[in-house]
Amino acid sequence: MEMFNYYLKLSVRNLKRNRLFFILMISTLAVGVGVFLANIAIIKSMANDPIPHKSDRIFNVTLNIWPNENPSARLRETMRYDDAMHILKNEIATNTLVHYQSKVYTRDINSDNLSRYPAVVRATTPDFFPMMDAPFAFGGAWTEDHAKQVVIGDSLNQQVFNGGDSVGKTIEIDGKSFEVVGVLKPWVVKPMFYHVTGTQAFDISDDIFAPIETAMDSEWAINVQSSQTEQIDSVSDNRGKNGFFIQAFVQLDTPHQKLAMQQYLDNYSQHRKEQGDFLRANDNRLLDVNQWLEHHNVVDERMLAFAIATSLFLAVCIFNASSLLLARYHSARFETGLRRAIGARIKDIFYQGLVESMIIGLCCAALALVFGWLFLKISMTLFPKLQYTSDIDASLIIFGVIIALTTSFISMIYPLIRSCQTSLSTTLK
Amino acid sequence: MLNMNNISRIYRSDTIQTHALRDFSLDVKAGEFVAVTGPSGSGKSTFLNVAGLLDGFDQGSYELDGVNIQGLNDDELSRLRNEKIGFIFQNYNLIPDFNLFDNIDMPLRYRGFNAAERKRRIANALEQVGLASRANYLPSQLSGGQQQRVAIARALAGEPKILLADEPTGNLDSLMARQVMELLHTLNEAGSTIIMVTHDPEQARSVGRNVQVIDGQITDHSVYAPEKNNAPIEVNA
Repeated sequence: MEMFNYYLKLSVRNLKRNRLFFILMISTLAVGVGVFLANIAIIKSMANDPIPHKSDRIFNVTLNIWPNENPSARLRETMRYDDAMHILKNEIATNTLVHYQSKVYTRDINSDNLSRYPAVVRATTPDFFPMMDAPFAFGGAWTEDHAKQVVIGDSLNQQVFNGGDSVGKTIEIDGKSFEVVGVLKPWVVKPMFYHVTGTQAFDISDDIFAPIETAMDSEWAINVQSSQTEQIDSVSDNRGKNGFFIQAFVQLDTPHQKLAMQQYLDNYSQHRKEQGDFLRANDNRLLDVNQWLEHHNVVDERMLAFAIATSLFLAVCIFNASSLLLARYHSARFETGLRRAIGARIKDIFYQGLVESMIIGLCCAALALVFGWLFLKISMTLFPKLQYTSDIDASLIIFGVIIALTTSFISMIYPLIRSCQTSLSTTLK
Repeated sequence: MLNMNNISRIYRSDTIQTHALRDFSLDVKAGEFVAVTGPSGSGKSTFLNVAGLLDGFDQGSYELDGVNIQGLNDDELSRLRNEKIGFIFQNYNLIPDFNLFDNIDMPLRYRGFNAAERKRRIANALEQVGLASRANYLPSQLSGGQQQRVAIARALAGEPKILLADEPTGNLDSLMARQVMELLHTLNEAGSTIIMVTHDPEQARSVGRNVQVIDGQITDHSVYAPEKNNAPIEVNA
């Protein structure tokens, strides 16, 4: 411990004596680590398991439906109202939900302020909340399919009602009134796996959750990539017609449930095929959350390419820092030689270098976290969808410190080896 | 104390082999003060580097205080340098931004002494060289002679078996050189074994034994009377 303190004292002395040099070296490493960290933060948020404790038990339901036989047509991710209702009727899954997304304008019906706030609506079924572990602050879900009731998110509750228990209050949506029966706590799903189609995987959570039947009755527009193969005049007109806009998820807690659900879907396909529908081959899939995210390439390939680039950039920074240190050790070879001559072992010189690299690494880590945060903010301008999800959290801070210490140590190794290889007699002459 | 037998040291480059030492044999007893002289490039510094374990050798055998040097690893060589050898360099080799205390403290740290023991030894060493009141001075605040005395204090603090001095007065004016030589003589009279490389024939004659090195070999081996009367009493070619 006494020698550690001595090395610490020597290192601090060296840092003070070569202040500008070390600022340059630490900055070089910190830029590399910071860029790398920002990139990892983005990839981590993209590759995040949004519901880790049950991501292997929640499945997206995909039916190979389309009313023609085009074999090259890709698997459909949305289904018709009738198909969704059939899936909803299953008695196999622990929870089943169907949903579509809409956008509306809303306000507190009793407010003197006539301004309406834009809000994203999740038209869904009550099982949405237990399946997603959506946390209620007040109240709960609706119980009637056509109820004029909604659950609102924390953000909208703050905006419209200034927060608090808003259960029982009434909001106006597109000229109609709806009772608030539940208010969620602040809740973010990263990525929003239940709606990864299009570019919405990193949207912030929904503002309003409403019964799907009510949403269709109210003609709330379908805000998803939808298709139709016949004339459909309104949202509610989708019932019984070939309008593809609903997604379905089931929670299957056991392998037996999964097998039974697969059979249920295949039986349904077969039945529809016999009725002249479902002309394509049976290809009904149950993809769990991570399979579903992978199927949609949620981790942007550009980010993976960027990760390679930032890794190479970090390597260049380490190389530069190492070159700087080599020059520093070259200029300090007299002191190293003197220490060796009066009794320091090679390992003593290495220990001293290690302590110095630790101090450099910690300074670098502090600066790298600042740079990382800045680079992340800059990256948000390139990937605005990520601005509500990517952050440098505690695990990334620890990771950043480890990377900074490691890079500092790697930078130090070669100069240390070189300084110990110098001939003592030549150095001291 | 120091026993070298047929030591050879060859420096090799791509095209040239230089025999810095060839069949070099020397036996130094405890308490002796030996001056090593010779022209530039004769091999006297190489001898001192080999003797001080700063450089290796190609052939021969070397025993320092009963320890055979051959085959020792870095840890063992470093321990020997630290415990048995005190170096005094021509250009003092003090660390400029360490005060005297911290400069002398360095070898004691690697020896593993605790703080109290280090403090005691540093105080004694500074007392011996007459700089006890200047422990907090920086080397730049001292004259050349005083800096060399600090270097001697650093060598003494570890209470080594042998002091190796490489032209210790080479950078000093005559007055300071005389003071440093007097200090070395005092140390020798107190029992220290000293080997000193020097160009100065007068200094060489002032010590008990003079070894002349030419072309990496000992060519003259004179022993002088301890009274420093400069008259050789025995000569071994």
